[in-house]
Amino acid sequence: MNLLEFARGPALQVAVYIFIIGSLWRLLGILWLQKKRDFSERRNGRKIRGALKVIWNRAFTAPVFREATKHARFMGYTLHIGLFVTVFLFIPHIVFFKGLIGIDWPGLPNNVIFFVGVITVGVGVAILIRRMTHPVLRLISNFDDYFSWLVTLLPVITGLIMPIRFGVRWETLLAIHILSVALLLIWIPFSKLSHAFLLIVSRGTTGAILERRGART
Amino acid sequence: MSNIEPISSPIPYTRGNVEPLLHEVVHALDRLLEDDEATVIDLASLPFGPGELDQLEERLGIGELTAELNALGQSIIRETAYPGVWWLEHRNTEGDIVGRYIEITRAPEILMSQDADIGAGRAQLGDNLERAGPGNENGADNEPRPN
Amino acid sequence: MKDIPTLGDILQARGVSRRGFLKYCSATASLLALPPAMVPRLANALEQTRRPSVIWLSFQECTGCTESLTRSSSPTLEGLIFDTISLDYHHTLQAAAGEAAEAARHAAMEENNGNYLVLVDGSIPLGNPGFSTIAGMSNYDMLMETVEGAAAVVAIGSCAAFGGIPGANPNPTGAVSVRDLIKDKPVINVPGCPPIPMVITAVLAQYLTFGQLPELDRHGRPMAFFGQTIHDRCYRRPFYDQGKFAETFDDEGARKGWCLFKLGCKGPITYNACATMKWNDGTSFPIEAGHPCLGCSEPGFWDKGGFYNAVSTGDIGSGKALAGAAAAGVVLGATAAAMSRARRKKTMKEG
Repeated sequence: MNLLEFARGPALQVAVYIFIIGSLWRLLGILWLQKKRDFSERRNGRKIRGALKVIWNRAFTAPVFREATKHARFMGYTLHIGLFVTVFLFIPHIVFFKGLIGIDWPGLPNNVIFFVGVITVGVGVAILIRRMTHPVLRLISNFDDYFSWLVTLLPVITGLIMPIRFGVRWETLLAIHILSVALLLIWIPFSKLSHAFLLIVSRGTTGAILERRGART
Repeated sequence: MSNIEPISSPIPYTRGNVEPLLHEVVHALDRLLEDDEATVIDLASLPFGPGELDQLEERLGIGELTAELNALGQSIIRETAYPGVWWLEHRNTEGDIVGRYIEITRAPEILMSQDADIGAGRAQLGDNLERAGPGNENGADNEPRPN
Repeated sequence: MKDIPTLGDILQARGVSRRGFLKYCSATASLLALPPAMVPRLANALEQTRRPSVIWLSFQECTGCTESLTRSSSPTLEGLIFDTISLDYHHTLQAAAGEAAEAARHAAMEENNGNYLVLVDGSIPLGNPGFSTIAGMSNYDMLMETVEGAAAVVAIGSCAAFGGIPGANPNPTGAVSVRDLIKDKPVINVPGCPPIPMVITAVLAQYLTFGQLPELDRHGRPMAFFGQTIHDRCYRRPFYDQGKFAETFDDEGARKGWCLFKLGCKGPITYNACATMKWNDGTSFPIEAGHPCLGCSEPGFWDKGGFYNAVSTGDIGSGKALAGAAAAGVVLGATAAAMSRARRKKTMKEG
């Protein structure tokens, strides 16, 4: 079995299994925690509405904080949008997803994706530099922060190298790209990257609690 | 096996090979004029899209001189509408294409009579004349060597 | 060793003019992907070549490779090569049969010991020698016996080069390739199902002209013809780059000649000369005719996940396995939550 067959076969499968196991473990482990019974009388009680309101509202910074957070916001949005575009709007990726879930959607030309990918990596490097030079961030950053950064950007970087090649065979580069995705999948549930699915849960919970108490959301 | 004629593409198609190639021919003509240096372009080595080879042939056109060579099958050696630019098409005895070249030269090498052939022909002519000498009523066997 | 005529002698004896020989050399140089400037050197080398003996062994094959060669794009070239080589043994092409044929093979091996070329098509079954025999001799025995005095071996077609269709899952005959068995002689692989006939001829011509192996890649294939992927030389590549793909075999994209990646084209991972040399005198090749590349010159191409599944499709396991993983996740989550609750209760009790 060569590297590509290993990457597309056992490696990817094991990564997906670990991703599923880990994600469910964390998600359900949190959801099924014993919640403190709230003995106060509920004010509004529409928990779902509260959950959705907070999920939506907290996506946008409160005006008071906008100036202070403008760098983080700009870089964060650029990174996340860039990741979304390169992962979900690149046609060979869409073909991959279609093979999994049977649904197809239109994509963007390859050179547009490449351009967005370069921007994404650029912003990623800027984020790292900021983390390493900012007096506060530098102190509070740990292994999880740095390793998550690496594991998130590796698929984008290896994906960008594929059309450039640097003299390496295409199959080898594809295998390395898939292995980097496998690494990402394995790391997500056990790191801060789990915010991908836990963010909704935590904000929703906060929103539901606040709404029950009649607080402004 | 008879010739296979490809169906021409209904949509005029270009992969962008024709223009750069013609530029290469221009540069080769410069070299021919300045340094007397000949150039041969092997058309089999280029990935033409459907119909592009015909486009190229059309662009180059047909000139004053066309020669037909019969050696191991037919070959056409034709000067294009641009003097010094020759289109060579070699076929085998079955009529299949075995080579297509563009030569930028004063005269393609294969047009010239070759030393080995000249030598062999001269020897045969000498033999024929000897046999057709006095007393031989049947005449000389003037058949040239078969191909 | 008896006096063997050179190719130059043979051509002269056949009455081929010098012009004819030049034409032949140009075509050969083109085949070998040599620049036209090398034709004089090639002419020189070819003139000095001696007529070698060639033994062709056919094992578990469909005869497609022989058919490809004899229907080849340049029969005169083939005709010359096969007239100049002494094809002393070939099941399909030889007139002799039975003991006479085997006697011819042994005679050729003895007379040219150390200098003959062995061409093999078809895979060799190791499961049971009875799966494929010739004149009562198993393929394995015949291969080992014939190769012993050979100068080099050329494995023609994907079956001989990699095991091919007999070697595909579940490989009931235990088929193996020539390279799996021959370790002490140079082996050139010319894979393809079938290989492009011009490529077969060119490899032979190259070996006969220069007397040495061409540069080979890690699968033993000549770099001159197997050094680039179909994808890198495909005329439909601009459509791939622009994101224009055919979705089905007769949709608008297909009619406009868009990229066939989504329909399962294995061009990106297939090394062959189809996109440049093409088939049938450079008429066309599968992608140009509208069908995705099968990847037939790659090892194990029959088992690469389906001809119509795109290269980027992955296999993340069966539904059952995924459900199992989900169940495991649920169990772990429940366990973690339960443990947390128990701890909490304990803390509450103590506090």
